[in-house]
Amino acid sequence: MAEEPESALQLPPSSTTDGEGPTEVSPETATPEPPSSAAVSPGTEEPAGDTKKKIDVLLKAVGDTPIMKTKKWAVERTRTIQGLIDFIKKFLKLVASEQLFIYVNQSFAPSPDQEVGTLYECFGSDGKLVLHYCKSQAWG
Amino acid sequence: MEEDEFFGEKTFQHCCAEFIRHSQQIGDGWEWRTLKDSSEGYMCKTHFQIKPETLMSHSGASACVQTCLPIEEALELPLDDSEVTETTTGSQVIKYEYHVLYSCSYQVPVLYFRASFLDGRPLALKDIWERIHECYKTRLLQEPWDTITQQEHPILGQPFFVLHPCKTDEFMTPVLKNSQKINRSVNYITSWLSVVGPVVGLNLPLSYARAASEDE
Repeated sequence: MAEEPESALQLPPSSTTDGEGPTEVSPETATPEPPSSAAVSPGTEEPAGDTKKKIDVLLKAVGDTPIMKTKKWAVERTRTIQGLIDFIKKFLKLVASEQLFIYVNQSFAPSPDQEVGTLYECFGSDGKLVLHYCKSQAWG
Repeated sequence: MEEDEFFGEKTFQHCCAEFIRHSQQIGDGWEWRTLKDSSEGYMCKTHFQIKPETLMSHSGASACVQTCLPIEEALELPLDDSEVTETTTGSQVIKYEYHVLYSCSYQVPVLYFRASFLDGRPLALKDIWERIHECYKTRLLQEPWDTITQQEHPILGQPFFVLHPCKTDEFMTPVLKNSQKINRSVNYITSWLSVVGPVVGLNLPLSYARAASEDE
């Protein structure tokens, strides 16, 4: 399957449009990630200080969860995990009864209020934060 | 992990021990309690929270980079009851107790919890509902009796609220399978609690994530 171009896409603000086309629904294959230089989103204003700089987030699917066509996103530091979950759910067109979980280190779910910037400081490497996402019918 | 195919009580106790070890390192307050003359036990933590909730909900905003503690740790009151006073003018302190027990029938851990005001008055189910994180409310309101129920604590015999364990296996399986695939061990309790805890106000500091992957 064709890999996405290197540049990371901007994570749209909360009122997201779903104009991404059909979702890939295929079991996750172990494709090696191409080497990535620090992806810069087109049209980003250069930040005055670190606080405005966006975080490069790489989203990876776990299990039978659909794989996103676009995996690399530039995300504001203050975006919360819950905000990211809502975005991915819309992107993947999940129904209301489906839950989506996000993990760091492929095993730990940060609290919904946790900010991407903080997660990057703790778990980021090579200029990006890798997050795994997984869908489930329920969380209880 | 001794059992690969299912989560047995020995594995439960082992994971809790690892979890508590890290808790002790960061002063997160989890303890192990055993039943006298029995190998059965459970993990528990008491946590005080000031109302209104907005004071406590912004974890991670200015987290210490080295230890990754969410900001709410700094606001947590000491566990000694005598030092905790109820402030005037309507703000309240609520005492939460979280207990992690093993369910033999479901072969998964189960989260029991209860909450009370400082004068001992317990919170009712409806008070608990109000304090649940916004993002879970829609889901819970659709089927509340499916997910949070009131039951007798199997060891203490007192009424507690319980997060129903029937779906635990469903969300844990992909995580466990994935960890086997990448040949990295996972602390079941850490992963599980990181998912279910926030639903009822229990947020694990991020350092647990690193501790889990450094084990073994």
